[in-house]
Amino acid sequence: MYHAAQIIIGGLVQGSVFAIIALGLSLVHRVTGVINLAQGGFCIISALLLYSLEVSYGWPVPLAFIAAVVGTTIFGVALGAATFVPALSRLGNSSMLMLSAGLLTFIGGLALVIWGSQPYAVPPFSGEQPVTILGVRIPSQGIWIAGTAVIIIAGAWFLMAKTSLGKALTACAENPTAARFMGVDVQRLTLFSFGLTAMIGAIGGAVVAPIMSLQFDAGGFFTNSGFVAVAIGGMNSFPGAIAGGLFLGVAEQLAAGYVSSLFANALALGLLLVTLLWRPQGLFFAGRQRRHDVREDQRVYKSIIRFRGRGAMIWALLGLAVLIALPYMVGSGLLSSLVITGILFIAVIGLDVLMGYGGQVSLGQGGFMAIGGYTAAVLATTYGWSPLVGVIAGIVVSLICAMLLSVVTMRLRGAYLALATLTFGLLIDSLTVGLTDITGGPSGLVGIPSFSIGPYVFASQMSVYYLVLGIIVVLLVAFFGALRSSFGRALQAIRADQTAAAALGINVPRHKMAAFSIAAALASLSGSLYAFDFHFLAPEMVSTSRSFEMIAMLVVGGEATLVGGLSGAALITLLPTIFQPFAAYKTLAEGAILVLAFQYMPDGILGSLARLLQRKRTAPKLPAATLAKGEAR
Amino acid sequence: MSESALEAKAVSITFGGLRAVAEVSFTVPHGSLTALIGPNGAGKTTFFNLVTNLFPPDSGEIMFYGSSLRGRSPAEIAGMGLLRTFQTARVFPGMTALENVLVGAYKETKAGPLQQMLWLPAALREERRLTERATALLDLVGLSVYRDVAATSLPIGAQKLVEVCRAVMARPRLLLLDEPAAGLNDAETAELAALLRAVRDSGITILVVEHNMSLVMDVADQVVVLDLGKLLARGTPREIQGDRRVIEAYLGVEEETA
Ligand SMILES: Nc1ncnc2c1ncn2[C@@H]1O[C@H](COP(=O)(O)OP(=O)(O)O)[C@@H](O)[C@H]1O
Ligand SMILES: [Mg+2]
Repeated sequence: MYHAAQIIIGGLVQGSVFAIIALGLSLVHRVTGVINLAQGGFCIISALLLYSLEVSYGWPVPLAFIAAVVGTTIFGVALGAATFVPALSRLGNSSMLMLSAGLLTFIGGLALVIWGSQPYAVPPFSGEQPVTILGVRIPSQGIWIAGTAVIIIAGAWFLMAKTSLGKALTACAENPTAARFMGVDVQRLTLFSFGLTAMIGAIGGAVVAPIMSLQFDAGGFFTNSGFVAVAIGGMNSFPGAIAGGLFLGVAEQLAAGYVSSLFANALALGLLLVTLLWRPQGLFFAGRQRRHDVREDQRVYKSIIRFRGRGAMIWALLGLAVLIALPYMVGSGLLSSLVITGILFIAVIGLDVLMGYGGQVSLGQGGFMAIGGYTAAVLATTYGWSPLVGVIAGIVVSLICAMLLSVVTMRLRGAYLALATLTFGLLIDSLTVGLTDITGGPSGLVGIPSFSIGPYVFASQMSVYYLVLGIIVVLLVAFFGALRSSFGRALQAIRADQTAAAALGINVPRHKMAAFSIAAALASLSGSLYAFDFHFLAPEMVSTSRSFEMIAMLVVGGEATLVGGLSGAALITLLPTIFQPFAAYKTLAEGAILVLAFQYMPDGILGSLARLLQRKRTAPKLPAATLAKGEAR
Repeated sequence: MSESALEAKAVSITFGGLRAVAEVSFTVPHGSLTALIGPNGAGKTTFFNLVTNLFPPDSGEIMFYGSSLRGRSPAEIAGMGLLRTFQTARVFPGMTALENVLVGAYKETKAGPLQQMLWLPAALREERRLTERATALLDLVGLSVYRDVAATSLPIGAQKLVEVCRAVMARPRLLLLDEPAAGLNDAETAELAALLRAVRDSGITILVVEHNMSLVMDVADQVVVLDLGKLLARGTPREIQGDRRVIEAYLGVEEETA
């Protein structure tokens, strides 16, 4: 009994933090219709700032706290003003989601550059001595956390319910266009809400810092917990966010206390999926149903890039010739980077089928890489199976997971799909770290053999290079075949308009599941080749940050082109090899590239190039000519 | 014309107190070109949505060549050969005009993804054949020059024609068209009339919602009139033109909008 009370108190403390983050997510979602993944990034920046000011510079706690929060808020407002707010008027919701994923990566990268990758600990605000109330010992920091949560919640309630600013925010939330006509400066209010949530996140991060191990990439954890909380509670309701946060906190602590902390992560995923399936409007407070948001359907109309005819064939053969000759022209350091580029590109091809053609955003690609990688590596290393069989087994396991997951996700769209897959990815992350007996835990799995087919062992980098190149050529030829014909057209129709696609007899769920399975299988293949190439596999090689990285590769390279991802993969993988000093800035650059690509180069590198070429060829074919023709008659 | 392509039997639906479609019964004879007319808000689009089961009727039943459509998914209904277009143009962005029309051939494509992946000659031949037919359809409405242009970059009128071609491409048995001429200029309307006649003459039954009365008089065999969700009249174009109730229903609306 005493034990249970202790656990529940811990859960409420943890839940208060989730509730604070959920509140911030809910606020931005209400005003903009976007789920701002960057939210958790502000928590970690603020917590690390607090560490530096308090521990490194010896500032008193209250001063360090205030400075950390103010500094993070200013940073948040500047970031929002430069990226999020201007993009909002131009991008559809799923692009905005990816943009905020880019911001989260960017913030993590910034933290990595400033603080490095080691974990930090901040002492509790008022000493280690716990407080005893009614015989239950409560860690003193827990009281700080709960108190802060109450103040933030009361403040947010007062703002929304009692002030004219709150009314204007609500007006924006309900109908931005009407609000604009009524003289509300939507742009400014959006920035205000973004800054406000940065501040809420900063306060949450600073107050929770003493009970956490602080690492540059913890932002994803904060965002995800806040999101699960808000999805459980009800996306558009403040009481829902609070209830969801507390519920999640208590449920996770109970699961961790009585089963294991691994189960706690699985529980979060389970709760999220059950909620999304059973009561998508939230378990506790439905909130007001948002008017159907046109931004849900809006997409940036990218230019159409098609590779057809003799020209494309010549380019393809030329490219292939260069790739075949490449290993003889570069040094061995660059060669192994090229191999990795190719291996990652295999997973990016799958992502392109799913996201570029099918329009289904997945943040779980890294999870499938992990499933494939660890299945193949463990079978080959621990059990001595042949690598080829291991690779196939990995694909089979991935496909089974993909099928199970897609039973749920098939019915989800946009942000919900993205976040369900993100939660899946984070669950796999915690399994690769936590199942130490099987995966080797954080220190990784060592002694993985080289890939082999029968008696032939791909021992040298050169041989692996040609193996990967061969696989890529086969995949590209096959998928070009399918995507240029009815299968690809059906996927693109679904991406554009599911109702119209179904009205033409297209089986929407089946195609979504096919695309999801293709993406999972290719990610799995990529993950296992990665392990055999490195002879080593550690969780961070195939983690959620890898998922974000692959989205950056795809978007930068050019979506819905199949080959575009290669330029993105090459850019992001090779730059740190060529410019060694760049390596520390890799995550930062990935985030910046993702944000900039969404804002300024929606067609990606390949798309922009192709458009330049196409413009020359097809300039005279202006569609406006139909109008002229019609009127002339 | 004995067999009926579509038979509505006392179909009704209520949206929060509003009887959008009330006890509507009529048949569309096989091989006919039936026009469904009525003032704005009469329930025409809602009737289409009920036929394609975007949402089910509260009561009543809809038969398609003798089999009930109750409980079938929109994709299944399309699979039976009942295709529709939407009132607002819904061409697929990110695809060319030709590709949009080719999506219509989805059901009849025999080569599966695997055969397409292997570039089998049969799959390539089929693709070439479908492309030829889609181009011919676009040619019929004067759009084949724009086949490789992004469909959304075409003017609205052309987009609606592309959408009609896309539905025709599916070789439907019955085609439901929701205000295909809205937003079309005179030349495009003439192209549409020619297309409708050609489609009907190829043996496809058509039910078309249309406001353009001269187009209706020009092409329809039968006219069905809805007003405030109820069936007001049905008959030949000539009969409907002289029907007092129909004139009143329309005049009433015209007075409001004038
Ligand atoms: N999904 C819906 N929910 C609520 N009301 C609807 C819905 N669809 C149509 N209506 C209402 O039903 C009536 C008929 O609309 P509609 O079928 O679009 O008319 P028409 O196509 O004849 O102009 C209108 O009053 C419209 O507002
Ligand atoms: Mg209508």
